Amino acid sequence: MRIMKLNNRCRRIRTWLYAAMNRRFGPEASWLHNHIMYCPRCQRRLVSCGKVNLALSFMKSQPLALDLLMRANTQAIAVLKHSLRREPKAQKLERKLPEPKLLERCSHYGHSVVNLAACILILFLMKIGVFSSMGNLQTQGQKVIKQYYVKQVGGDLADEIFAKDTELPSSADFDNIANA
Amino acid sequence: MTLMFGKAISYRSVWDFAADESVVESQRWILSTMQKYGQELVTMLWRILGNEQDVCDAYQETFLQLAHYEGGRKPEHLKAYVFRSANNIAISMLRRKIAERNRRSRPLTTTSVSSPAREIDSKYLQETLRSYIAQLPEHLRNVITLRDLAELPYSQISRILGISAATARVYRCKAIQLLSVWMGKEE
Repeated sequence: MRIMKLNNRCRRIRTWLYAAMNRRFGPEASWLHNHIMYCPRCQRRLVSCGKVNLALSFMKSQPLALDLLMRANTQAIAVLKHSLRREPKAQKLERKLPEPKLLERCSHYGHSVVNLAACILILFLMKIGVFSSMGNLQTQGQKVIKQYYVKQVGGDLADEIFAKDTELPSSADFDNIANA
Repeated sequence: MTLMFGKAISYRSVWDFAADESVVESQRWILSTMQKYGQELVTMLWRILGNEQDVCDAYQETFLQLAHYEGGRKPEHLKAYVFRSANNIAISMLRRKIAERNRRSRPLTTTSVSSPAREIDSKYLQETLRSYIAQLPEHLRNVITLRDLAELPYSQISRILGISAATARVYRCKAIQLLSVWMGKEE
């Protein structure tokens, strides 16, 4: 248990260390950019490194035919022993199409999950009384403002302005306040 | 006599049937392996070879090797065995293809004429990188193909290659450095 904790801590620190090192010495570091601007050798190195990454990205993004897995399976099964070829699993493999990974499949439901989580959070906040506290806060705020108005323009006018909580004061009221 | 002959045939067919059943029982794991790793293998082979027929050939060769591994025995580290053999087969095929292409015409590296359009030509870049990956030392090449082309995590790569994850990272870094030096010379 203690070793596990230690390992987790070690892993966490390693991640932070990696992020910190990357910020300080990674390709995005400003001192590196400043150097590369004036060093033709480093410019060449950076370009060739970028070329490798670009070529790797091209290789990864090259789409493969949908039936390639099926064809490859069929060709591979054809050289296996006869008894294996007759297996139902082999026949299933000969018709198999590529399937997206679990994470890719779940990514479609990402928005729905986020929405659901937001709803649950709102319900939870309502349950623990955050919204009623916010209502109280609003009422208290209104009271403070009313007191301010009472001090500044008098009780009658303040009562008129704050007669209804939600009703906004009319322009005439504003004029009165201004005159006062 | 006819009766005896008939009996012999029936015994033989029973024996064959039993032998068939035992083969199926003992080698069914090959089909399971194909089902489990087939997709990842095809993706990796496609990225290494870039040709559909070559992918099918390399895939077939991989499973043929697997079926004949120590008289049909299941390897202890199945995933490691399958990925390493597929990788080796694909690289051998790639080398053969490059050698053949070089025999027919001048090598790719010497024919290249540097121009901005050519430098970002995806096909040209891929072919160049493939030829350089095939020239990498084995330990670096294995890491780059498993990490960048098969997109396996370092933890799995370390298990497949029998090295630590940190070593795998170092090897990848070295491989990228070497490849960028070679790609830089290309200009």
